Formats: sequence, structure tokens, C-alpha cells
Amino acid sequence: MRPAGKVGRAGARLLPRLETCVMAAAVVALIVLVVLPLLFLLVGSVRGEAGLSLEHFTEALSGRLYVQALVNSLVLGAWTGLFSIIIGLPMAWAVSRTNVPAPALFRITATLSYLSPPFLTAIAYVNLFSPNAGLINVFLRDVVGAPWLTFNVFSMGGLVLVTVLHTFPFVFLLASSALQSVDASYEEAAQILGAGRLRTALLVTLPLIAPAVLAGTLLAFVNAIALFGSQAILGLPGRIVTLPTRIYALFDYPPQYGLASALSLMFIVITVAALYLQHRFLARRSYVTVGGKGARPQLIDLGPARWVLLGFCAAVFAVAIVLPYGALIAVSLSKSWGLSFWKGLTLDNYRFVLFEYNVTQRAILNSLLLATLAATIAVLLGAVIGWIDVRTKAKGRRLLDYAALVPLGLPGIVMAVALIQFWLTMPVALYGTLTILLLAYIGRYIPLGVRAANTSLRQIDASLEESARVLGASWARTLREVTLPLIRPGLFAGWLLVFVPVIQELSASILLFSSSSITLAVAVYNLYETGYTEPVAALAMVNMAIISVALLAAHWLASGRARPAADGAVRAGASG
Amino acid sequence: MAGISMRGLSKSYGGDTDLAAVADLSLDIDDGQFVTLLGPSGCGKTTTLRLIAGFIAPDAGTIHADGRLLSSAGQVVPPEERGMGMVFQNYAVWPHRTVFENVVFGLKLRRVPAAEARERVKRTLALVNLTGLEDRLPGQLSGGQQQRVALARSLVVEPEILLLDEPLSNLDAKLRERMRGELKELQRRTGITFVYVTHDQAEALALSDRIAVIHGGRLQQLGTPQEVYARPASRVVADFMGLINLLPATLIAREAGQVRLRTAAGWTMLADVPGAAVPGQRVEIAVRPENIRLQARTGADPGQPDPSQPDQRQQPATVTESTYLGNIMEYHVVLGDGAVLRVQTHPGQQFAIGDKVAVRIDSSRCSLFEVPAAGTQEAQGADA
Repeated sequence: MRPAGKVGRAGARLLPRLETCVMAAAVVALIVLVVLPLLFLLVGSVRGEAGLSLEHFTEALSGRLYVQALVNSLVLGAWTGLFSIIIGLPMAWAVSRTNVPAPALFRITATLSYLSPPFLTAIAYVNLFSPNAGLINVFLRDVVGAPWLTFNVFSMGGLVLVTVLHTFPFVFLLASSALQSVDASYEEAAQILGAGRLRTALLVTLPLIAPAVLAGTLLAFVNAIALFGSQAILGLPGRIVTLPTRIYALFDYPPQYGLASALSLMFIVITVAALYLQHRFLARRSYVTVGGKGARPQLIDLGPARWVLLGFCAAVFAVAIVLPYGALIAVSLSKSWGLSFWKGLTLDNYRFVLFEYNVTQRAILNSLLLATLAATIAVLLGAVIGWIDVRTKAKGRRLLDYAALVPLGLPGIVMAVALIQFWLTMPVALYGTLTILLLAYIGRYIPLGVRAANTSLRQIDASLEESARVLGASWARTLREVTLPLIRPGLFAGWLLVFVPVIQELSASILLFSSSSITLAVAVYNLYETGYTEPVAALAMVNMAIISVALLAAHWLASGRARPAADGAVRAGASG
Repeated sequence: MAGISMRGLSKSYGGDTDLAAVADLSLDIDDGQFVTLLGPSGCGKTTTLRLIAGFIAPDAGTIHADGRLLSSAGQVVPPEERGMGMVFQNYAVWPHRTVFENVVFGLKLRRVPAAEARERVKRTLALVNLTGLEDRLPGQLSGGQQQRVALARSLVVEPEILLLDEPLSNLDAKLRERMRGELKELQRRTGITFVYVTHDQAEALALSDRIAVIHGGRLQQLGTPQEVYARPASRVVADFMGLINLLPATLIAREAGQVRLRTAAGWTMLADVPGAAVPGQRVEIAVRPENIRLQARTGADPGQPDPSQPDQRQQPATVTESTYLGNIMEYHVVLGDGAVLRVQTHPGQQFAIGDKVAVRIDSSRCSLFEVPAAGTQEAQGADA
């Protein structure tokens, strides 16, 4: 035995081992994708007319336009966070702790709301609530005769409404998982000491899940302020400029790269601060799972009040799903959107966007290609990085892990600004190509790949790999025959978690696309900008159809084992 | 005062009465006693405790405490109105509150004035040896300290009944032993009725005034530790209360309060045991390993038992296994008919494997279990 071991080790020393090469390649990829663009962003923000300067930051912090954008973003984020609690927490409590009827409806509402792209919801709400032509507004004003009931969607209120519909699932998800893991004995101990249900809930349960609720709220905040599409569609007509739309405007000719970089860095500071707090809160959450066997909590019999909760959930479902998609379908099928739209139903809009509007087919192909490539590469890269973190003792592996999580703190538009800054100085012309979009997507969603791989790898004991190595299998062979098959469900879940947001990505794409590399989401947004009401709805429905097919395929393929990884990655906070 | 009386209590989960967690259980717990519900996991002891606490409602039967109806099939007084205390297996010390805040919780609910509450918390913490740790968070405490916080939290409100659900099972062996002593002392000093759930028979023996052995959701035996250990009412109880040897035998005759038995191998003995078995009936002789004596058998072989002898208490055997356990020696010996007995002796008495020994059973410390007519049980060695 011993001589064989010696030969093996000597052989390994002669040529660089495959695993070393693969790991090095992953590290280089991460540096090119994330670290260098961020460095160039930093450099760009402090490079003035004459060398090093803080002039961009001075302007960003003093110019009325920029301060207003900052304030608007924070206001939007705060309201969205608050309403995410108001909607998400009761729903989480209902499904986790009460005998509410149809708990599945609550989960479906949260899932669909999360998956529904906010810029599509925004377009739908414009069709219903734009001040002059919105169908419901027209109905209220002209038919009911109650103009005071109308609602102007081009307002902070409208923006918060549409954004909350996308972000409350973060609170719902974290709160319901916390509620389910609070050991029932904590509550029983209060009860036996004489505390009734309400007091137990307020004094014991709520403080225990508060960290999780706050963490969910911060995720809602971070995601809310990063959404370019809804903020452009609803905010700009109402003169509510936010950080993403302000940064976007800075790329109008002549582009102000330095100022955009400075604003982007401020944006990152806000996001990273929020994510750091979120991480801290979530770390404190660990105490809800303390404890031994602990009986499952009994479900509270709400009596007739359970129908009130069900009604609440049904209302959320109606506002988040039925109303916007009903409106989009109706608009897409009508000749002319208005009170009597049903008199002229037609498929012309679909014919137009699918066959006559020459952008659509290219955009669909681009989006499918980019989403497939980005998801595959992000997951493979994530697997290698995750493997290094979980399985090796390599120096700096924690740093690598952090570097891979950094993009969580990068709003899409910031990622785009960083990539532009970096690649414009490189001798390769990537701007406006599919490649730069691909780099943006991989960079943005690599954390999901790493998260999925990490979660799966931690569930597999290292001894399974070690026993293959002991039997003489090489690293590559062990990876191929033991590790990858075992983590495949988790990786597959991670793949979908990247695929779905990429196919609806707008925030970064909007700065990076060109007419040849246009994507589906950008096509929808551009068509909306040019004012085609009915064809936009048709294209939006095409977009939704593609997302739905992808999700159904996912649901059909996903095995039960893949789910924990998926949950974890969703919590990591992806958004379109 | 506060005795507990359970009558015909039944509870099954998922509506399947065949898998009842508790089946027709009747049990009286006297005021001021330390009563242990003992049984293997899944026997229904925790369900019984949770029924007493009011966390679950019985399917049938009643629970009275101090003459007051607490639980019946349709009517359950909620836990918060029972005025009991409970200590949970995982302590359930609220992690977001300090030791003081944990302990004072029940007093605040009872609107005890702040100054008095502080004084009572202080006194109770002293009682459980936690003085000076008032401002710590549970995360900064050891398991044993958390357990004391849980105890203090229950005791400070001066309940008449304290329910304890395997409170020591998460502690290490040494701490467990110390807490055991403290619990017993505490119960004696406070006079509170303790209902204590455990699967550890040693713990039950050491702590209890009465042990209720529960198996398969049914009460098997209620008695003092001595009764339950030395005079188990059934084979299930005997089995659970420690190591036991079971020798199949036939009851030959009853004479002068004693019974004459013959084992499968033809070994006859007189035993001083109660029981309703009648002559001719198949029985099992249950004898604990420490109630068997071994003697060296040198030279002259006493030979095969002579059936004509009235009582042959000695039996030849061979040592097949020997284990040194520190305070005792444990041997396996094989009788002539192949039956294996587990024997525990003083470590001063040493035998080697293969040694011929004479086995003598202390027939005053045996139990007899009737074998159901259909059962033709093989000779069995010790069952843990």
C-alpha cells in the first residue's frame, strides 16, 4: 500500500493537478465578473477632469436632482418594507399557525406574486389606473360619477402598490418558516404560567420571529429600490425620479460616467448596509430552532375569523394576479382599450408582435439563449466555488465565498454601470453585444448558483467523496461519478432560480442592450415607451407565456430533494 | 389539596383508535407526592402529561385536580387557567429574555407588585442556586443552568402541581445525577405534587414516591419503587425495570404459601411468590441477575438434578462470558438444558470463562408470570 501512495503523490507533484486548474479558473472568472468591474466603478467615481477627485460624490450629495432621487428611493423602500409586513406577516401567521381554509392559496399567492415581473404588473396597472385613460378610473369617473374614487397610479402610492405585490413574499417566506420552527414548548411554557393565546403571541412568539420578519423586510427593501422597470414606468410620468431611473438618465448623450459611478456606489452602500443588517437579524434567528423534540404547535381555531383571513388573501391574490393579468389579457385582445373594449376582440395584436414587429423573434431567441447560458454557467461556477468553500481548506476560501455573494448587493443597473466602466477601457469591444449581457447576468446571479451548490454540498457528507478517493478515483472522476449526481437536484433548482429572473431581467439589460442583442423584457419596455398600448400587452403575455412554460417545466422536473436548496436561494433574494 | 385523579383516559392521534397513545388509563396521584410516569419512548407517558397540562384534550375519560373537573371529552380547561407549572425537556427558556425576565414572567401575569416580585424571584433563584445570574441571557448559560431557570420559572408562581417532561434527559451524566438529588430535595422542601415523565428507570427509582409504569398507552403498574422493581406485576414491567432472566417452568403444586416449580430442564424449586397460577400451569420464573449466586464447583460433580429431591436449589452451569463493570462482575452461565442466565456478583468473586459453577437462585426474590395458553416460550436469557 505504502509505495502506491508514494507514487501517486509524486505523480501529482509533476503536473498541475486538474482540480487546481479548475479552481483557479473559477477564481479568475469571479474576479473578471465581479471584482474588476467593481474596482473600475470605484476608480471611475473618483476620476475627475484633472486626476483624483471627489467632485462626483460632491455633486451626487448636493445636487437637488440626485438628493431627490436618493430620498425617493429610500421613501419607496420604507413604504414597501412596511406594507410587505402588513401583507406578508398575517398571511404567514395564517398558514403556519391557524386552521385557515385553503392554506395552499396563501402559498400560491405568495409564489406567483414573487414570480410575476413587476414591470409587467406596472404596465397592467397603467392600463387600469392611469389618470386619464385607465379603465377603472374612466369607469369610476364617467359611469359611476365618482371622480374622487379614482386613483392615479403615476404616484408614490401607485409605485408602492405595484412594488409591494412583488416584495411581500420575502416577509411571508421568512416569517412562515420562522413561525414553523419556533419550538412549541416556548409558547406552552407561557401558557402554563397563565398567559392566554394573545399574550403568548405578543410576548413570546412575536419577539422570537421578529428577527426573521425584519430580515424579510430588509430583503423587500433592497429588492424594491433596485427595480428599474416599475420605477421608470410609474415613477417618471409622475416625476418621481429614483436612483435607478436617475442613473439611467445619466446615460443620455452625453453620458456622465463619473456621476453615474458615484451614484452607483452610494446605491451599493445603501443596499449592502441593508443586507448586512438582514444578515445580522437572520443570524439571531438561529435561536428559534434551538431545542429538542418539541411538539408541533397546535393550530389555532379561529372560528369564523378564518374566513376574514381567507378573504384578505383572496384580495391580495386578486390585486396581485387576477387584476393585472386579467387586464393584460383583455388589453392584448382588444382593438382599442377602453370601456367598450369587448366589442372588438381580436388576435391582431399577437399577430403583430409575433410576426410583424421584427424585434420580437430576435428578442425571444436572445432571451432564451442568454437565460440558458447564464443559468448553466452560473450554476457550474457556483458548484466549483461552493466546493472550494465546503470541501477544501484552501486559504482565502472565505474571501472567495464573500466575493461570490457581493452581487446580491448590486442592483441590476449598478451592475450594468460597472460592466460598462470596465469593458469600455478594455481592448475588446463588448458593449452592445450578447456577451456583455451574459456577463452581467452571470455576475448578478452567481450568488444563487453558489448558494444552491453550498446547500446541496453541505447535505452530502464528505466521506462519500473520500471513499471514492480512497478506492483510487481521481478528483475529476469522483466529481463526475459521486459528487455531481448527488448534488444534481440542488443544482437543477439553482439553475431554474437563475433562468427565471434572467428571462425577465430589465434593470441591467436596459443599459447594455443594442438592437441586435435586445432581450424580451427590453423589447416589452421599449414598445411600451413608444406608446403601443395593445401590442405591448400582447408582448407582455408572450413574455409571461415563456416564463410560465419554463416554470411548469421546472415544477415538472424538480424533485422533492431539490426544494430545500431552492428555498434557501429564494431567501438569498433574487429579483428580476 | 392538589391530588390528580384520572379516569378512563383515552387519546389517539389521527383518529385511529388502534394506535391510541393513551388507552383507558386510570391513575390517582396523591397530593404532595413525587410520581413518575415511566415507560419507553412512544408509550404514552408524555401524552398523559400533556393531557394533565391541558395542551391536548382527551377522546374519553376525565381528569380532576383537587376535586375540580379539568378535562373531559368535550370540555377542557385551557392550560393557562390550571395554575400548574411545567418544565420541558428542552427547557423552553425564552432566548430573548434574561434569566430575571424569564422567571418573573408568571408573577407579572399574576400582577404581583414589582417589589414583591423581585423578592420572590431572588428567593427562587437562590433555591435553585442561580443567584447572581439574573441579567444573563439563556444563550450564556450552560444546559444545567438553563434547566434551573426553567425550574425557577415554574416554582416562583408556587404551583400546587409541577409537571416535568424528561427534564434531565439533555444533561450529561454527572450533572444529571446532581440535578436528580436537587429535584428530590426541592420536592421535599416545597411539598408540591411532582408529576415526572422519564424513560430512565434508574432515575425513576431514585426520585419517586410512586412509579406508574406505562406501556402501550396503558398503566401497567403503580407502586413504590421497591414494589415495582422487586415485584413487577407483569413481564413488561419486569423487563422495563432492569435486567431480568426468564426461565420457563411449570407450577407443580402450591404448598404452605409457597409454590413448587419445575423448569424445562427438570430443575425444581420452592418459591415464595404471590400469584394466581394454579398447578399444571405454564409460568415463567423471573429473577434479576443480582439475585443469583454463583459458587465454584470443584472436583465432584453434583451431577444431574435428581427429580426425587424436594427442592434442588443448586444447579450446575458453565461460565461462557464474563464482563468487568467496575462495581460488579457480570457473567453469562449456561445451564444443563442450554438456558443462559445473566448473573451479577461482587467483583471480588472472579470466575474464568469455562469455569464450572453451581447456580443458586434466591427463590424469595423471584416473580412468576403466567404464560398465555398458546405461548410456548423458549428459554430466554436476560433481556435488557
